[in-house]
Amino acid sequence: MPSISDLKAELKQLNAEYAKIKDMPAEKRADFGKELNVKKQKILQQIADVEAAAEDQEVLPLDITAPRDINADAPEFLTADFGSKHPLMTELDRVISIYQSMGFDIMESVQLDDEYHMFDSLNFAKGHPARDGYDTFRTEEGFIPPAHTSTMQNRVLKAHKHKLDEGNAIAVAVPGRTYRNEDVDATHEHTFYQCEGVYVSENCTLGNMLGILREFFEKYYGQKLNIKTQPGYFPFTEPSLEFLIEKPAALGGKGKGGDWLEMLGCGMIHPNVLRMAGIDPTKYQGFAWGGGIDRLVMLRYDLGDVRNFEAAKLDFLKEFAC
Amino acid sequence: MLISLNWIKKYVKIDIPDDELIKLIGARLVEVEEAIDETHKYDKIYAVKVVSAEKIPDTHLSLCKIDDGGKATDVVRDDDGLVQVMCGAPNVHADMMAVWVAPGAIVPTTYHDEEPFVIGMRKMLKKYDSYGMLSGADELGFSDIRAGIAELDPAVAKPGDNLAKLFDLNDIILDIENKSLTHRPDTFGILGFAREVAGILGQKFKTEDWYFRNEADFEINSNIKLGIEIDEKLCPRYTAIVLEPNGNKAPKYLTLQDTLLARSGMRPIDPIVDLTNILMLLSGQPLHAFDYDKFVAVGGSKNPKIIVRAGKDGEKLTLLDGKEIEMNSDDIVITSNNVPVALAGAMGGANTAIDENTKRIILESATFSLYNLRKTQMAHGIFSEAITRFTKGQPSGQTLPVALRFAEQALAIGYNPVALFDSQKTAPEAEKVELELAQLNGLLGTDFTAKQAQDILQNVEFAIETKGKKLIATVPFWRTDIHISEDLIEEVGRLSGYDNIAPVLPLHATSDPNEMFVLKTALRNHLSARGANEVLTYSFVHGDLLKKVNQNPENSYKIVNSISPDLQYIRQSIVPSLLDKSYANLRAGHEKFALFEMNQVYSRSAGLDDDGVPQNNYRLGFVLVSQDQKAGYYLAKKYVESLLDTFGIGYEIKPFIEAKDKTNAYFESKRSANIETSDGKLIGHVGEIKQRISRSFKLPINTAAFELDLRVILELQGVSAKDFSFSQFPSVARDLTLTLPLDCPVGEITAQIRAELAKRELIHRIECTSIYQADGAKTKNVSFHLSFARTDKTLEKSEIQDIMKALEKIK
Repeated sequence: MPSISDLKAELKQLNAEYAKIKDMPAEKRADFGKELNVKKQKILQQIADVEAAAEDQEVLPLDITAPRDINADAPEFLTADFGSKHPLMTELDRVISIYQSMGFDIMESVQLDDEYHMFDSLNFAKGHPARDGYDTFRTEEGFIPPAHTSTMQNRVLKAHKHKLDEGNAIAVAVPGRTYRNEDVDATHEHTFYQCEGVYVSENCTLGNMLGILREFFEKYYGQKLNIKTQPGYFPFTEPSLEFLIEKPAALGGKGKGGDWLEMLGCGMIHPNVLRMAGIDPTKYQGFAWGGGIDRLVMLRYDLGDVRNFEAAKLDFLKEFAC
Repeated sequence: MLISLNWIKKYVKIDIPDDELIKLIGARLVEVEEAIDETHKYDKIYAVKVVSAEKIPDTHLSLCKIDDGGKATDVVRDDDGLVQVMCGAPNVHADMMAVWVAPGAIVPTTYHDEEPFVIGMRKMLKKYDSYGMLSGADELGFSDIRAGIAELDPAVAKPGDNLAKLFDLNDIILDIENKSLTHRPDTFGILGFAREVAGILGQKFKTEDWYFRNEADFEINSNIKLGIEIDEKLCPRYTAIVLEPNGNKAPKYLTLQDTLLARSGMRPIDPIVDLTNILMLLSGQPLHAFDYDKFVAVGGSKNPKIIVRAGKDGEKLTLLDGKEIEMNSDDIVITSNNVPVALAGAMGGANTAIDENTKRIILESATFSLYNLRKTQMAHGIFSEAITRFTKGQPSGQTLPVALRFAEQALAIGYNPVALFDSQKTAPEAEKVELELAQLNGLLGTDFTAKQAQDILQNVEFAIETKGKKLIATVPFWRTDIHISEDLIEEVGRLSGYDNIAPVLPLHATSDPNEMFVLKTALRNHLSARGANEVLTYSFVHGDLLKKVNQNPENSYKIVNSISPDLQYIRQSIVPSLLDKSYANLRAGHEKFALFEMNQVYSRSAGLDDDGVPQNNYRLGFVLVSQDQKAGYYLAKKYVESLLDTFGIGYEIKPFIEAKDKTNAYFESKRSANIETSDGKLIGHVGEIKQRISRSFKLPINTAAFELDLRVILELQGVSAKDFSFSQFPSVARDLTLTLPLDCPVGEITAQIRAELAKRELIHRIECTSIYQADGAKTKNVSFHLSFARTDKTLEKSEIQDIMKALEKIK
């Protein structure tokens, strides 16, 4: 490695070169200047590297095997009162444990996926405008940070297909982190959490789907609930619906009707989706749903700004101290 | 999309209250984002006759006397019962029928404002009382163009008629979320929407006859030549009608059509464009009109021909709005003998635009590939009502009927159809889909009879044939979304109301817990109970953050359409994100804290998994920030050790090794360690952050961190169970202080003590109580508190002395 004094001398010399520019023919000046700038940047980088190395050199080593530093007290954990769990994660745990109590296996969603899982395997025609509705991010290679947990449906079906052969139902809940390319404001985040549900058996019905969803939300809010639906459109379900519950008492619902909360999208799994996973749609049928977790937490704690979730601000998090 | 409920009511008889209807539409067709109540928007606005209009010299104003049929209150009338109003519009004249906003009425354009503007009596030019106002189409909310006051057709309007009654304006406008109807091009027309409303209400819908007409009923002038050449992949069908002037003049009155355009979010422009737009709103079929003579001239051929083809890269076209675009091969272009005249589906070209000199016109009614138009939409940023409809895939079966409807209605605005050209020679056969009743009920959990299912489908104009318990449905040409039995099941379930299906909970089996979630929950509890704070941070980071922590941005997956440079790379590990979030907390007054996050990370160096997608890693990242001067390493290590001990994981603290892919290159190698299993498997790293890096984050230089691989922890969990053996004989407590060279690792000494005690089969506990170095000394004194016991008997004094002697020799 060159010494710092050599480098500094070199830099000084180079700086002097700049004076020559004014004596040059006009057409050569630009190139000459550029060349000097490149050289200068290189030297500055070298100086920074050498200085950094020198600084690292000065750092004193410590005994990594010791339980404490020389002449120091034993380290103490932070005060337990300071600790907190992230409300989104606590809520996700609750959601998962309810699904588990209802017989659902749990499989976490991936955070970087491909076109096949995100769209093709879900019966989105190639190049179909419906793909635009998901505002997906893409990497240079064309991988997709998934915009919905449905990106896991094909994997879930394939991984649990044996259950059908064994005469059981596939029942899986899939929590995960999802991403959409949208501008962030108090109610929109580009990064959020969803939970998917997938259920397949020989004879499950849309009525069963409504039964399971109502059961889930009744357990979640600890009370009987009125439910309703409205038609939706997802290429991977047929029929497709939106599922709503009447505002529960825990969220200030008066039980008088008319105050509805849209909780998730759902529907009977499209035969093509089953087929893509190697499940015979003439023999088996199923339903699936997916909904946001962030919103559940916002509603539960009456939070106004979704941006707090990913801000890592202790002032906010300590409100959720354990 | 905005839908006028009154327009729907022209096609469906509705005998339930509007709010119930809107609920039903929400439950059985599509979410209604908002029902905009305009039922009182035009209250106290009347058709009036201008009886006299006298110019007031040296002003732009006229003093008018109007006949309002005696409707208005709060006005002073003259002896003839007329009301006085001043008017500044140049087109005001005696005997015209105009629109008068009476005192007490709200100016319609301000109707939805927080403080709507209520008109009253104004004193003008200091001496003229002016009651209310004679209003222009713009002030009424029907136009964006200020063009004098609106004139009503005297054959339609009588003085004192309510404007609302005249044009059916007491309306509710439904704001519909387009996305939910992506698959239903038919519902992007009032006819289709109305058909659904009928179906929802259990009524039989009958589409008007013109929608099925496929033959011209006008005389064809065979002298007009126009060929059509299409690429069917890009343009399944192209229909064109040529029209020529018939001498009729379009009346300049404010019409019902103007108000319907406005209520649908469009605006009247000129008679031809208005007719294309109103038919589009009605049927969902966009139309476009070219100037025929310009079209022929542009092509420069004796045999004019409409050629629809893919755009050529770099090919240019100036559009109607004056913008020049450069096309690409995904665009579909309408050409006149290969010279571009329109960007298909999106906008016409300036070179064939209709103007005041236009004589003959070509009306285009066509369908285009929605896939291409989707790309056109994105590439050129054109989001018109027309392209919105085209990208839903309008059916080719309606191009001719809608074009013929245009021809029929164009007579009144001055055009006669004279020629018809159509690329489609034979109509495609209607699709048939079968539905077994058992499948219907088996999927929905219902008990429909065949007759019920048949009626529900027939209401929305499916032709149904029944064979026992099987229904054979002939799909109407506009239902481009119906291909399989499940599609029909959706129709039956939806139109009859999903909410009539009883929720039934199926029996369920038990499930196995997901071990990773159980682990994460336990870790969350463990760390938060020790004062650490769980956070979540974005998976996306700035390239500069990666460089700042010595990571290589090339090793990160890069987002090509990121929201901002802050979110351009997928992070390779958790700790850098935590470092990035720490300073804000310091500044907020938190002097000592620990942040941790459990999440997935990705790096290119990790390769792809079995599915061919990037391999994820589950990580626990932890950062400890403290304003005190103590070495952060030891506390961070204490957290790691307590965690690994709790989860029964055997580990060793080994010298830090920087990873080849540099994902851990932010750890200061002299003050960090590898955490490994006894057979060398890496569990993670613990250590202090390079001082330079801590400083760049404005953090104390003793900032420490660890990052652990959760998959490895899951795999090792409980493998090396804690030693719970104990002795029933009293244990002996002794303190031991050894003087050791400064660089002698305390861990090694501890291991030697342990080995010595173990060799003697003693149950033991070892605690290092102090490490002391006197000022300037070359050695350190390390003190231990020991307790040990035999399992078979009480230790004897001599034995104890023996043990201590052996221990004191350790170095």
